[in-house]
Formats: sequence, C-alpha cells, structure tokens
Amino acid sequence: MVRNPSAAISKKKEYDYVNKSLRKRIWEHKVLYLFILPLIVWLLIFCYQPMYGATLAFKDFKYNLGIMGSPWVGFKHFEKFINSPEFWIVIKNTLIISLMKLAISFPAPILLALLLNEVRAAKFKRVIQTMSYLPNFVSWVVVVQILTVIFSPYGGVYNNLRNMMGLESQFVMGTKESFYPIVILSDIWKNAGWNSIIYLSALTSISVELYEAAEIDGAGRLKSTWYITLPGIKETIGIMFLFAVGNILNAGYDQILLLKQPANVQISEILDTYILNTGLNYGRFEYATAIGLFKSLFSISLMFIANLVCKKTMEVSLW
Amino acid sequence: MKKRTRGQKIFTGFNYLLLGVFGFITFYPFWYVLVASLNTGRDFAKGGVYFLPREFTLQNYQMAFQDERIFTSLGISVSKTLLGTVISLLAVALLAYALSIKTLPGRTGITFFFFFTTLFSGGMIPYYMQLRTLGLTNSFWLYIWPAVYSFFNLVLMRSNFNSIPEELRESAHLDGAGDVRVLFQIYLPLSKPILATLALLIGVGHWNDWFTGAYYQSVQQLKPASTVLQQLLSEATANQTVKLGQETTLGSMTSYTSQSLQMAFVMILTMPIVAVYPFLQKYYVKGMMIGSVKG
Repeated sequence: MVRNPSAAISKKKEYDYVNKSLRKRIWEHKVLYLFILPLIVWLLIFCYQPMYGATLAFKDFKYNLGIMGSPWVGFKHFEKFINSPEFWIVIKNTLIISLMKLAISFPAPILLALLLNEVRAAKFKRVIQTMSYLPNFVSWVVVVQILTVIFSPYGGVYNNLRNMMGLESQFVMGTKESFYPIVILSDIWKNAGWNSIIYLSALTSISVELYEAAEIDGAGRLKSTWYITLPGIKETIGIMFLFAVGNILNAGYDQILLLKQPANVQISEILDTYILNTGLNYGRFEYATAIGLFKSLFSISLMFIANLVCKKTMEVSLW
Repeated sequence: MKKRTRGQKIFTGFNYLLLGVFGFITFYPFWYVLVASLNTGRDFAKGGVYFLPREFTLQNYQMAFQDERIFTSLGISVSKTLLGTVISLLAVALLAYALSIKTLPGRTGITFFFFFTTLFSGGMIPYYMQLRTLGLTNSFWLYIWPAVYSFFNLVLMRSNFNSIPEELRESAHLDGAGDVRVLFQIYLPLSKPILATLALLIGVGHWNDWFTGAYYQSVQQLKPASTVLQQLLSEATANQTVKLGQETTLGSMTSYTSQSLQMAFVMILTMPIVAVYPFLQKYYVKGMMIGSVKG
C-alpha cells in the first residue's frame, strides 16, 4: 500500500508541526507512547534479553554465576560442534530436506494457483479453495495422527488397498525409506492450498488485455502462460523464494520432530531437533546455544546473498 | 470465450479432473478420520471401512471426554485460546494504532526495533532459559505472555489502520476525543474484517501449538490438548507391537481401541476449526494479500 502523502495535512499544520520543539511534540503524543510502552518492555524481555543470552555460546555455563558471570571460553563450543561426527550428518540432513522442499513443495502452490486461475465455474473454484485451506488450519500433530491411521497396518485404508491388489501390508510410518516421501507429500498437502492465496492474488493483477492480444496473435494456453502469466507473477515468486532461502536451515522443525523416530533418526536429525535434543534433553546449554547462533548467522548471510543475487538478476528485493 | 479449440476443451476437462482429485485428497483424510472416530475401534481394525461407519458408536467420544488427561488438557486449550487471542488483539491494536500515526516522533526507529526481531533471534535455548528465569515454565501464563506479539500481525493491523482516512481522526480530536476513544470507537469498529482475520489466525495458532507445551511446560496438568495428543501419538509409536497385541484382548472386552480414542480426540481438535474457518474465508484471503504486499 502506498503511504498517504503529506498532502492530507494542510500547509498551516505542516508549518506548526515543523516549528514545535521536539519535546513538545513528544509530550503531545504521550498517550501513544503509553500504547507502545508495554510492548517495548515485552520485546526487551522476550526477544532482546535472549539475544544477550546467546553470548552463552562463548561461555561455560555455571548455574550459580548465571549467564553474565559465567567465564568466557571463546569459540570452544563452535569448534567442538564443527569437529563432532554429528556436524556433517545434521547439516546434510537439514539441507537435503530443505532443498527437496524447495524443489518440490515450493512450486506446488504456484502450479495450483495457475490451474485454479483457469477455472471459469466460480462455485467449483470456491469449493476447491475452501477445501485446500483446511489442512493449513490444523496442527502438525493432527496431520501426523491422520497419516498414522491411513497407513496403519491394522485397518488403514492404504494397506487395505494394497491387500486388494494382492500386495503385502506395509509398515510405512517410521521406516527409513518412506521418510522423505512422507515429509514432502505431507508438506505439500498441508501448505500448498494456503500458499496459493498469494499467487492467486498476484494473478488477478495481470491485465486481461494482454491475454486478448496474445490470443489475437495466435498464442495458445501454454504460450500465454509462459510469456504472460509467469512473468506477471515473477516478483511474487521471487519474494517467496527469498523467504524460503532464508528458512533453508529451518526445514520445518515441528513436522520433523513429529516424524522423527528411532528407525529414521540417521536421516531425520536436523539442526533444530539436534539443538533441542542436546540443549533440553541433555542440558548442554552452551553447546546447543552455539549451534543455534551458528544457524542464525548463517541464515541471515544466506538471505543477504540471495537478496543480492535476486536484485541483480530479477530486480526483486526484500528491502 | 468465443470458440474453443479441441485442445482447449481437453485441457479444461483435464484441469477440472485434476483439481477435483486434489480437492478429494485434501478433504478425504478428514472424512476418513471422522468415520474412524464414529466406528467401533475393534471393527475398524479389521479394515474395509472407507466412507461410512460400519458399526456406528459414540463410545470413542465418551471415552475421550472421560479420560482425565484429555479432559483437563481441553480445558487448558480453551482457556489459553480465548485469553491469548483477546490479549494479543488488544496489544497489537494499541501498537499498530500508535505506529500508524505519522507525526509520532521516533516512529521509524521504534518500528525498526520491532522489525529487527524477525531477522535475528537468540535461538531456542536462550529463549527457554529466559522463560525459566521468569518462572513461566511451570505456569499457565507460559502460553499467554510470550505469544502476545508477532510482527506479521502488526503489519496487517497497521496497514489496515493506514487505510483509514486521517481526517476522521483529526476531526474526532477537534471534538475533544482522546486517542483511546478514537481507537476503540472509530478505528476498531471500522476494522472488523482484519480483527476477524487476526482473531482466527491467532486463535488457531494457540489452539494448535503443541511445541510450547511439549518442550517448555514442565507441569503435566498444564499441558494443552495438542500436546497431549502428541504424547498419545509418541506413546503409541514407542510400543507399537506390544500395544497392538494388547489391544485385541482389550478390544474383545471394550470394543474401543487406543487408536479409535485418538481419532475421536483428533476430531474434537479439528471440529472447532472446521466450524469457523470457511465463514471467514473472504476476510483472511484479503488479509493475506495485504500481508504479502506489505510484509
């Protein structure tokens, strides 16, 4: 949305505004500062103080001394993490899951939006859209429960169908082979509908005349999709892509936490689950904090680089 | 559309078919679980129940509500969702109103102070330690205070306030109304669509959050329903083979199984959402569009 230009304020008011002293202007807005104050305090407590707490990554935590009083140890915990056998496994798992999501789950809502955009029957379109939003509104716990019953070897519909085709029942959940397909497919199932909203709204802003002109020039559906529709939503795709890149080390931890089982732990242990496990289950606070900080800094730099690349090549930028 | 070539007709038919299949795949699993929750567990485990219950029963729901752990957790979930949503809405309304006023000295700096937290955070462990220091990890308020604010909500609310003409506020001020009255009697009544959207998104977030309860809450009696569902799930997977053996003997006496009970629990958690979200669709679709343009 475009900011209202100061044209709304009359010349006279503008004059008054500039000439008042800062102190007077602040005093005039005192009620507004009272509105903001509680959340400033909130932000200091729940965001900025934990940021200070991240200095724990460079310390050895002593309960009796607190975070502030604990002794500095430099990069000890970072070195320990990088030299540990878990390092490459965890990084590799995180990147594999993220890149698969980027390659397969990311285009899914775009495709869905393109297909929905071609539908002329308004009622059909609306029903499909409403259905497709539902999985977004339920928790991952519910999704995993649903998967468990569908794939259950005892009465689950998946194995029923297999048996009907003369195949053996298969234990799907928790086996290593089915981990990636389940992660990706359930991710698409849960999020594609909801994420298509943004692309659909971008599609409505493309002018109809462009399509008409293309039709006169003899362009078919595929051609006009390729030369008009996709360039028309290029910017939206670019921005969503940048966000996805910024999240590349996240890989969706609550989904993975719920799908992680002893049988698949070799491929399902990602950075966040490793942090939670070492930090909360084993109480290695400094070590887990160091990994978290490593992840945070890496994510930010990645986002800056991706932003730079997109700015140069696609003229799309987050800031 | 004037004339359609054969290729276009084929494409249209194929498109409808594809979207129909997609709609079925998104919706059917919920229907399947509903059917499972209304069928006796023992009978369901034999297989072959797809679209309608074969041995209809409400026993699964009865057992779910009688279960001490489930019942308590539902109480926690309802109260944290209601209280958390109201407090969050109030906080974000106050903040967004103040930050939408262009003459406020220091506005840009304050906004950046809020924005910065989306770029960088201390990480999960320092956050947890802070919660523990504040004494929240064994309290109900763990669900309320840390979840009060999110930058996304602020952006939605503020861009909505920005679209209200400034003259409205200025003339109200001339009539002697203070900022509190302007916000509650002019701005908020004009913002019903965005309030509905935010209430839905915040409420659903509270209702669904299992992570806080599972990793940060140390008191079992204070765990919300979605966390308890996760506990049931991991208990079931932990002793899969043993449990299923037991269930058949148990099932012969009671006819419900731990799976059918969980299905009832899943439906109890899903029903309130299904009852609300289709009716607010117009609003949140618009809200998401604003959020994507501004955010």
